[in-house]
Amino acid sequence: MKIAWRELIRKPSRFITAGGALTLITILLLLLGGLLDGLYLSATAGIRAQTAEIIVYSVDSRASLLRSSIDPATRSAIEAVDGVQSVSGFGVVLLGAKVPGRADLADVAVFGYEAPNARVPAPLPTGQVYADESLKASGVELGDELLLGPAKTPVTVEGWVSDTAFLFQGGLWGDESTWRRALSENRPDAVLPAGTWQSALVTVHDGASPETVAAAITANVDGVSALTKQEAVSALPGVREQQSSFASIIGTTFVVAGLVVALFFALLTLERIGLFGVLKAIGAGSRTLAAGLVVQALAIAGGAFALGGLLTLGLVAIIPPEVPVQLVPRRAVITAVGLIVTALIGSAISFRRIIRIDPASAVGGS
Amino acid sequence: MSLAWTEIKRAKLRFGLLTGAVALLVFLILFLQTLSGQLLKEFVGGIENQSAEVLVYGAEARRTIEGSTVTPDEVAAVANVDGVGDSAAFGENTFTVKVNGGESKDATIFGYELGGPGAPTTLTEGRLPTGEGEAVGASGAGVDFKIGDVVSVLPGGYEIRIVGLAKDASFNVQPTLFSSYSTYEQAVRSQNPQAVEVLPTLVAVEPAAGVSPTELAARINDQVDGVEALDKETAIASLPGVSSIQQSFGLILLLAFIVVVLVTGFFFLILTVQKIQSLTLLRAIGASTGYLLRSLILQVVFVTVGATTAAGALLVLAAANSSANFTVTADPILILGTGTAVLLLAIIASIGSIRRVAKLDPAAATQRMAGGGLI
Repeated sequence: MKIAWRELIRKPSRFITAGGALTLITILLLLLGGLLDGLYLSATAGIRAQTAEIIVYSVDSRASLLRSSIDPATRSAIEAVDGVQSVSGFGVVLLGAKVPGRADLADVAVFGYEAPNARVPAPLPTGQVYADESLKASGVELGDELLLGPAKTPVTVEGWVSDTAFLFQGGLWGDESTWRRALSENRPDAVLPAGTWQSALVTVHDGASPETVAAAITANVDGVSALTKQEAVSALPGVREQQSSFASIIGTTFVVAGLVVALFFALLTLERIGLFGVLKAIGAGSRTLAAGLVVQALAIAGGAFALGGLLTLGLVAIIPPEVPVQLVPRRAVITAVGLIVTALIGSAISFRRIIRIDPASAVGGS
Repeated sequence: MSLAWTEIKRAKLRFGLLTGAVALLVFLILFLQTLSGQLLKEFVGGIENQSAEVLVYGAEARRTIEGSTVTPDEVAAVANVDGVGDSAAFGENTFTVKVNGGESKDATIFGYELGGPGAPTTLTEGRLPTGEGEAVGASGAGVDFKIGDVVSVLPGGYEIRIVGLAKDASFNVQPTLFSSYSTYEQAVRSQNPQAVEVLPTLVAVEPAAGVSPTELAARINDQVDGVEALDKETAIASLPGVSSIQQSFGLILLLAFIVVVLVTGFFFLILTVQKIQSLTLLRAIGASTGYLLRSLILQVVFVTVGATTAAGALLVLAAANSSANFTVTADPILILGTGTAVLLLAIIASIGSIRRVAKLDPAAATQRMAGGGLI
């Protein structure tokens, strides 16, 4: 072990190639993961913020809020289903907002809601909204009067909320009247009658299973499709496809990392075969030598992750804002663990060669 | 050349690992290019392959088709701009539809004034719509239209018959219908009977003879308040997601190419350094520098061609198993082009090894201990 460490410290140039390749692979993995997380988080936050376990859409909407409608009679029918504790209305309209003092418009998702959720308190009085913190980048400030859509419907920002964007647009959360006014004035083709919401948010009684209650709602209420919150997130356009495409790309990149480690340790082992022969001749066991190799692989993977992580942070800072990269700690942990595991597997490829080294080769035998 | 081949045969693990790593990296590059190309084609095809050269958005839309509405007054004002050859209202929306009563699907419906700008330009079969309730279908996302198919818009059940087929004309990665504007209005009312008014999404404009689309777009922006006119090319580049897809995938591709170059270059450099004494001996017994260099380059070619072949096979496999909702295809030209680029880069990356081989001094062989020389 000590020899492995000393070699790393005294001959770092030997490991620069493997370390450099792994550093680049780390950047690749973190950027791919960051892109996936950025796409996912910015598209789904408005739904993930809900405390309600179930979201009910009209069946013909294919789980699209913008195409769904739940009328008062349907809402009453949902309330009557076993296991349902409460039902509240929920809707959204995507618009451009004129921000005071700014030439460019901000993209906003104007939510209408009745009940508070995990990220947004109870609705403010009509005409006032909570704004998602992401809108600060568009110049939105507390107390600003934003003019929504072509009809320039006014709303005033009275508070901040975080992680509530929807389909890459910053959330504005207002009461029923605020939302209905923004919808009817700017999207006359999407107007809904009084009392009709785009969807219904359902909380279930303690101990009741959301999956079971959702199935009961779909079965017992005509013309609706009830989804659990996670199903509703996955049903958003593109989410499922993004997850599966990126998962396969990231998986392939991990395999490449493993192969690169295996390749360079095979070369390094070959280079040091005489040295290993001498070490074996003076009593070092195959296990000790293999452990040294593992230590070196782990150190290189760890160093590559640290350097790659720092470079990724720098890169993300200069990437244009339209690229939705978002670095989250969970992704960094997954990448670090993945790299360490692939480095371990990769280095193990050279164990066989170490075991086969004959100590006699140190005195000229082959 | 037997030297190169014999070495590969005797060091199967080393060359196998390198070929495997490069193959996966080339597969990654091919897959990313295929994915982004297909995504962009299905994303913007509907706009790229329609006839209007200028598209006029509501100013608040920020160049987003889904976020745009224009008023009838704005449609009329655009028509009066000098240099407009033809212009008309254009509608776009996403609907839930059933094709021939089957499973419900998402679909985009475009509405254009028949005979005016906005018609599909890549008709492969059938004809353009001539009246209400007819459309040209562009397949996508697992929906494969045929002439005579009946598409019903939910929940109202309004029916549209497919009378023609267009290729590469889907929009937003959804199957897309090109219908008359009044058919589009009926579809909106079928989706939401409470709709108070159906406003056009855009104004589709054809410039008069001798007027360029960019020039006309600038004139419209100067003369009509509350709208933003873009030539088709700019409109496509400005669609939400297009530049982020291009930039994100571009960055990842660049990194993947750098990793290929680094891995290949350093592999051959380390290998050359490890073999330097043997190569010197070969030079001393008469092997020419050219022979050794050809052996080295042959190994680079072998690894790269082997890796590209394996990567191409993996792409074919991935294409065969791709989801019906988003079909990826293995394009031989893409595989060949990428393989050639990787080969050239790999040879460039091997310059370090080439220089070392070229600088070998045969006389140094006499200093080898094993050869009886003195260090």
